[in-house]
Amino acid sequence: MSSTEVYQLNFGPITAHSFNKDRTQVAICPNNNEVQIYTKAGKSWNLIHTLAEHDKLITSIDWAPESNRLVTSSQDRNTYVWNLDETGEWKPTLVLLRINRAATFVRWSPNENKFAVASGARVIAICYFDEEHNWWTSKHLKKPIRSTVLSLDWHPNNTLLASGSADFKACVISAFIKGVDKRPPPTAWGEKFPFNTVLGEFSNGSGGWIHSVAFSPSGEALAFAGHDSEISIAYPGGAIKNIRLTGLPYLSLLWTSEDKIIAAGYDCAPVLFEKANEEWKLSRIIDAGKKKVMGESTAFNRFRDWDSKGRGGSEDSELNTIHQNTITSIRHYAGTRENVTHFSTSGLDGKLVTWDLESLENQFRNLKV
Amino acid sequence: MSFRSIDVDALDEDILLPDELFAFSNGIEIDPETALNNVKSKEVEVRNLLTRGDTSNALIKAIENPPYGLFTIEAKDLNTQIVMEVLNSTKATVEFVKSLATEQQDILMKYIYRGMASPDLYNSAVLLNWHEKLTEVAGVGCIVRVITDRKAV
Amino acid sequence: MSNTLRPYLAAVRSTLTAALCLENFSSQVVERHNKPEVEARSSSEVVMNPLIISRNENEKVMIEPSVNSIRISIRIKQADEIETILCKKFTRFMMLRAENFIILRRKPIDGYSISFLITNSHTEQMYKHKLVDFIIQFMEEVDKEISEMKLSLNARARIVAESYLSQFD
Repeated sequence: MSSTEVYQLNFGPITAHSFNKDRTQVAICPNNNEVQIYTKAGKSWNLIHTLAEHDKLITSIDWAPESNRLVTSSQDRNTYVWNLDETGEWKPTLVLLRINRAATFVRWSPNENKFAVASGARVIAICYFDEEHNWWTSKHLKKPIRSTVLSLDWHPNNTLLASGSADFKACVISAFIKGVDKRPPPTAWGEKFPFNTVLGEFSNGSGGWIHSVAFSPSGEALAFAGHDSEISIAYPGGAIKNIRLTGLPYLSLLWTSEDKIIAAGYDCAPVLFEKANEEWKLSRIIDAGKKKVMGESTAFNRFRDWDSKGRGGSEDSELNTIHQNTITSIRHYAGTRENVTHFSTSGLDGKLVTWDLESLENQFRNLKV
Repeated sequence: MSFRSIDVDALDEDILLPDELFAFSNGIEIDPETALNNVKSKEVEVRNLLTRGDTSNALIKAIENPPYGLFTIEAKDLNTQIVMEVLNSTKATVEFVKSLATEQQDILMKYIYRGMASPDLYNSAVLLNWHEKLTEVAGVGCIVRVITDRKAV
Repeated sequence: MSNTLRPYLAAVRSTLTAALCLENFSSQVVERHNKPEVEARSSSEVVMNPLIISRNENEKVMIEPSVNSIRISIRIKQADEIETILCKKFTRFMMLRAENFIILRRKPIDGYSISFLITNSHTEQMYKHKLVDFIIQFMEEVDKEISEMKLSLNARARIVAESYLSQFD
């Protein structure tokens, strides 16, 4: 199918993935303490680097597109920033995180001069480069976080940060660092905000941990997905729109335009939400799933199964969807922030899949007629 | 030497206590007396609707405004009894469940699980039937919300 | 009575599907540790409400979910003393070999006959819907096995009694 490309990069889960700027290389963590970097070779990926500096499971990877730096975070309470040096080797740089629990999530800021690390120590560490000592140093965002922070997203203005944590709340906090950031223009969320000002605290009302937060392309709205199978979109005034769903919870969100969100999670298939007349609703499931082709001579097949496998019937354990297990991460692949044309997903089945939204839309439209 | 027996984790000010989780799920604490009185007046109305044969409105009234709270145990028990009475006398149909709003479906699912937790008091066969019809309409998402919502019914 | 079996198993299946949404979660209390939160119970916000699905007073299933693990406890129907003894021996046989079962817990929770512990590493390695299928199949078959054992026990007892008492004829 031209609309999706499926790569099986690992037998076990892929805990995190991130592409470089021109999508010729991808960094993944194959559920251990290493980062593997693959380069595209025709229709498949070849392993070119293995970065082994962490002691425990790597929880998140982010590749900065402009400055070509990698940041990785792990359950051993560390993060490292990797730079590609002249010999083509990736070298780690020390980051002074000062957290005493696992780091769960990491993202570069839009201008790539800072990155935010979410941790189980109930803090978010904002790290910036200290020229004097040649290391990355951090400042902590503590209140109002009461539990492990599970997810982060930066606002396009490089100073606001959204966080989703296990205390059932999504917050918008200011991560403005004097000396590193210039004063940002006023946004819908607020005007003057020193470091650690809380500009919004949202809860979805049914007590689920917030697995994913995402700012809309303009930054005017915040979407978050909770473990109670709800997607909520919050606006700066405090208004929240909740969508209660009949399926399993979602683990990851991506805005593809101002009024479209793609979500994926335990249902193993990405799903599209659209806004129509100020109301958000579930539009459709993107992964149509392949129907099992019934053979003509089913009796013959059944006897053959009896003979070869010792049991009757077609007990197919495979799922209909492309991903065979939970999808843990959706990332932008191609297109601008305001109009995403391709996105990539990775999950617990070890597959990395890229989806072409336009051709999927065309297929869907053809089906409708 | 007594410092060895101190539970350091309990002294951590930042940890979430189970009682706080109720507030974090947007639960509003109400006085147990008021809650009990509300449920008693609701009981009267529900009985009236049942005797008139209006089972669908009786169920909607019974699951309206559940007495959420950390100390409203009597009110909760009484409310559960009322809901069970209505469920026993109503036939479970998919059309009726479809007519309920998502919030009402979630509250009904919570009551079904609460009823099944005491099989000696309430008839589990009826509850299982209701559970099947409700899952058909509301899906597993409804059950996920019962598991995650700390506002216990 | 048996017409509640189908909705009972359907209810257990849908509840298990809802509860088996697990993810890798490092302990908040001890650094560099990763333990099943349903057993450790160290943080109250990551452990969720337990659910009980009951068919009648003697048969029920309790599911205790959390962020990275779930505990399923089954109370098997024990109609008379013989069945109680058989059930205890049968479950003890399995629990002694819990390692080969992978998801079995070595001791049942109080008030139940047998318990399973499923963690996020199990859902990463195995299909979730097959895990649910296994639990449902287990529940169906354990009743059958205990009835079979009881029948064969009674048959043997009758043969022994007959052959012994026929001496005095």
